[in-house]
Amino acid sequence: MTRKERHSLGEGLLFISPWLIGLTVFILLPAFMAFYYSLCDYSVLKDPVFIGPGNYVDLATDATFWKSLWNTVFFAALALPLGTFLSIGLALLLNTPIFARPFFRTIFFLPSLVPLVALAILWQWIFNGNFGVLNHLLGLVGIDGPDWLGSTTWSKPALVVTGLWGAGHAMVIYLAGLQDVPRSLYEAATIDGAGWWQKTLNVTLPMLTPVIYFNLIMGCIVILQVFAVPYIMTGGGPARSTLFYTMYLFDQAFQYLNMGYACAMAVVLFVLIALLTASAHFLSRKHIYYAGS
Amino acid sequence: MRVILGLAALLLLSIGMTGCGAESADTTRDGRVVITYWEKWEDFEKEAMGDLVDAYNASQDKVYVEYLSTGEIDRKLILATAGGNPPDVAGLWSWRLYTFAEMGALEPLDGLMQRDGLSPSHYLPIIMEQCQYKGFTWALPTTPATLALHYNREMFREAGLDPDRPPRTIAELNEYAKKLTRTDESGAITQLGFSPSEPGWWNDRWGLWFGGQLLDGDRIAIASPENQAAYDWVQSFPAEYGQTELQRFQAVGGQFASAQNLFISGQVAMVLQGVWMANFINKYNPELEWAVAPFPAVSADMAPVTVCECDVLVIPKGAKHREEAWDFIKFVQRQKNMEALCLGQRKFSPLAEVSESFYEEHPNPYIRVFRQLAESSNASYTPKTSIYSEYRDEINFTYDRIWRQLVEPSSGLGDVAGKIQPKLDKANRQWERIAEERKKEWAAQ
Amino acid sequence: MQEAELAPFTTPYKPVKRSRPLRAILDWHQTQSVAGLAVRYAILLFFAAIFLFPFLWMISTSLKELDQVMRLPPQWIPEPIRWRNYAEATRAIPFWRYTWNTVWLCILGVSGTVFSCSLVAYGFSRIDWKGRDTLFFFSLGTMMIPFPVLMVPLYGIFRDLGWIGSFKPLWVPMWFGSAYSIFLLRQFFMTLPRDLTEAAMIDGCSHWRIYWQIALPLTRPALMVVGLFTFMAIWNDFMGPLIYLTDREQFTLALGLQHFQSKHGGTDMNLLMAASTLVVLPVIILFFFTQKTFIEGIAMSGSKG
Repeated sequence: MTRKERHSLGEGLLFISPWLIGLTVFILLPAFMAFYYSLCDYSVLKDPVFIGPGNYVDLATDATFWKSLWNTVFFAALALPLGTFLSIGLALLLNTPIFARPFFRTIFFLPSLVPLVALAILWQWIFNGNFGVLNHLLGLVGIDGPDWLGSTTWSKPALVVTGLWGAGHAMVIYLAGLQDVPRSLYEAATIDGAGWWQKTLNVTLPMLTPVIYFNLIMGCIVILQVFAVPYIMTGGGPARSTLFYTMYLFDQAFQYLNMGYACAMAVVLFVLIALLTASAHFLSRKHIYYAGS
Repeated sequence: MRVILGLAALLLLSIGMTGCGAESADTTRDGRVVITYWEKWEDFEKEAMGDLVDAYNASQDKVYVEYLSTGEIDRKLILATAGGNPPDVAGLWSWRLYTFAEMGALEPLDGLMQRDGLSPSHYLPIIMEQCQYKGFTWALPTTPATLALHYNREMFREAGLDPDRPPRTIAELNEYAKKLTRTDESGAITQLGFSPSEPGWWNDRWGLWFGGQLLDGDRIAIASPENQAAYDWVQSFPAEYGQTELQRFQAVGGQFASAQNLFISGQVAMVLQGVWMANFINKYNPELEWAVAPFPAVSADMAPVTVCECDVLVIPKGAKHREEAWDFIKFVQRQKNMEALCLGQRKFSPLAEVSESFYEEHPNPYIRVFRQLAESSNASYTPKTSIYSEYRDEINFTYDRIWRQLVEPSSGLGDVAGKIQPKLDKANRQWERIAEERKKEWAAQ
Repeated sequence: MQEAELAPFTTPYKPVKRSRPLRAILDWHQTQSVAGLAVRYAILLFFAAIFLFPFLWMISTSLKELDQVMRLPPQWIPEPIRWRNYAEATRAIPFWRYTWNTVWLCILGVSGTVFSCSLVAYGFSRIDWKGRDTLFFFSLGTMMIPFPVLMVPLYGIFRDLGWIGSFKPLWVPMWFGSAYSIFLLRQFFMTLPRDLTEAAMIDGCSHWRIYWQIALPLTRPALMVVGLFTFMAIWNDFMGPLIYLTDREQFTLALGLQHFQSKHGGTDMNLLMAASTLVVLPVIILFFFTQKTFIEGIAMSGSKG
């Protein structure tokens, strides 16, 4: 290493030194500790006692753990496709030269800015079985709405609807993606006599796949960690139908004070996310068209 | 060079900010020791203790109590204790004591009590019992509460029932409930006699009125025949009145603390409620003609059954001013002060002796009933186990399913026992491992 | 170094404008069938109504009297309009106290994130050093570690530092960078021409000076994005305050609002909606002032890097 290289190295490290500290103290160290604690009997007050894989064995037979995982997967399976569908649909609608485009865009986007706590409280009120405005509106068209948040059947769909209200965020991303589609492709398609629908199907969506793929992964990762909205709206009920993974983890850690057990759940969560990302990455190599590649 | 300076500044900044902040001074300017006291209460309950804290601060010049209102106090307390920076005094719920004591999060008070001649006989037996665990005393009471049947006298009269003769058995309760329930042509409930789901706050305890227990020594007893009978009874309500109809009707109630509350607005005739209910009735519908009686048990021969729980004061492990904290707790335990607090919070006194003027001044006309319930041999409190929080969540989960008729009580309760028993066994094994050492440590205090 | 010398490099960042003149819109409308247009606008209006209605309902409820809130069928127009709900809501919880707590956290957090992340991003992009890219991609990988994994041990670390019950766990880490913001800013620094640094170096500028006097001013739009996102994250954060804050006086707005809602015995819905409106409002106002930054920031964050 030359003197100059050494100098650059020193200077580079100096610039990133806040991050080196942050990465070590606030990410790597706790991550390793989480792994260690997951092999321990640990409840903040006592020092952790190493017990081997006991927590993982308990997890495997914990019906509530499986239920929370199932709830989360079910929720993701419902919310992700619907959310993607809605946000792409809105983006497609807005991607044409219509009047008052900025107005519509703002309206669709605003809900995604609402702080989660306020969002949860607001929708809890909308879903109220009796005074809730939603059931009133449904009544107007002859539908007898259920007690959304009090029913084991409807509580998860209700949370999905709540989530869909925030579809504007993804819509903005897709809108940007749509505007990056080269015009020449559309022109070529027009010459071939393709209509709007065919163009959308054969040009727009394929060009959009990298963005969709990226957002689906991010969406999965976010949903695996969903906490605030169900915590406030339902507290996990009724009959644990909305007890999601992170909520159960939180309960184990801070309510029952089984920190070791909670860490085992956290490690499993990490593995799930890693697997998800890796497999999505692997699949994408086969199926996704990247501009310029 | 500049980079280094910049970074140095950054580091200094962050370290500097670490130094200042939440830590409060140990003494006031005039040299009094400052102790911190965390409490969970809000509104008038908070103010009642606030007055007592002021009185204490004015009564002497050695200690100054700083009274802080804390959200989610149980979780915060355990975490602060683990962090080595707990408050000196904290207001907890009695049902949380067992978990906390077993974790080693509390200071035992026996030594201090003995030294200063504060005898357990100063208290109602049931109150002292719930403050003790594994042979040590972990807390002293502030304000207790019991549950009783609240009923609407006017609705009784309208239904042709004698308002001075509340139901005395579960069978009578069922019968009264039927007479007091009205539906319209479409079958929708317009008035309800009784339902376990209103307000549905003690779903883990229904077995008590059927002679059931939650814990039998080291055994999870939720699947006992008595408890099964209780949850069969619970399930008979959605079966009889329709779960959807009940839910629809109850949704009209809106918030508990409002004029829409179904009991307060005269739409439900009978509810299981606590000593605090009077405050809400007085606030939202003082015209209501109501009365209180022990909640009926399965047999008229049983002594009155109730749940008696208590708010308590504890000294967390590692509190910096143990002596001063104790001095304040002792102050609260004096009969005069305790009665002032209980009057302010409109509860009954946890002490063995109560002055006559306390009852005369008390705003709750039925306060004696609540106190007598606490003295009953069938008054009970949270099972003494460190895993009760999990146990209760599991019962509530099953209760939900029983209520929705998704599961037979016998098999649902069996599942709870099957799930919780191993946890209890594990907790007990863990305790056995450290019991000797712990007890020695506690006894040394 | 003179301003003029920098000129070639300092063409200010200009977002691509995609405004469509009225003419173009009209032309396009003429190429479409009437039925197609009608359906298109109908769908748009339908969705706009759906997206707006929760807001309207929130505001409507927040202005009602309590017994009108509990009336069936629900009424849209409050009668009478009760502005007092807002005053009462701010008294029912220490609303201004919570607001100040939140704003203070935002100030500390946003300035910390912007400063530390830009510094680190500069180090990851404008200085060549051995192992730079490896370390950077490793850092990116840590974004995959979800907060719940770190939650429990972090609690222990903050406890050992004596920070529990103070604001520190919520803002101090922000002075040490965050992978995501570093990534965004690095992308930006990479687009600055290479000659910029080199010319400045030849003139004897240190990296610190280039960072502070050249790079930072040029990346203002990206800094805005990072700052805005950080602000939103802090304003919204619920789990952090829930875990780390103890004293009710220290609550943030999000936590205070949740506490208000879950109060034993419940809270009057009109007051709750008034308080919610007050929490949402600043964010909406902020959006209207920084729309472009917002939209571009999100577009940037959502596309593959």
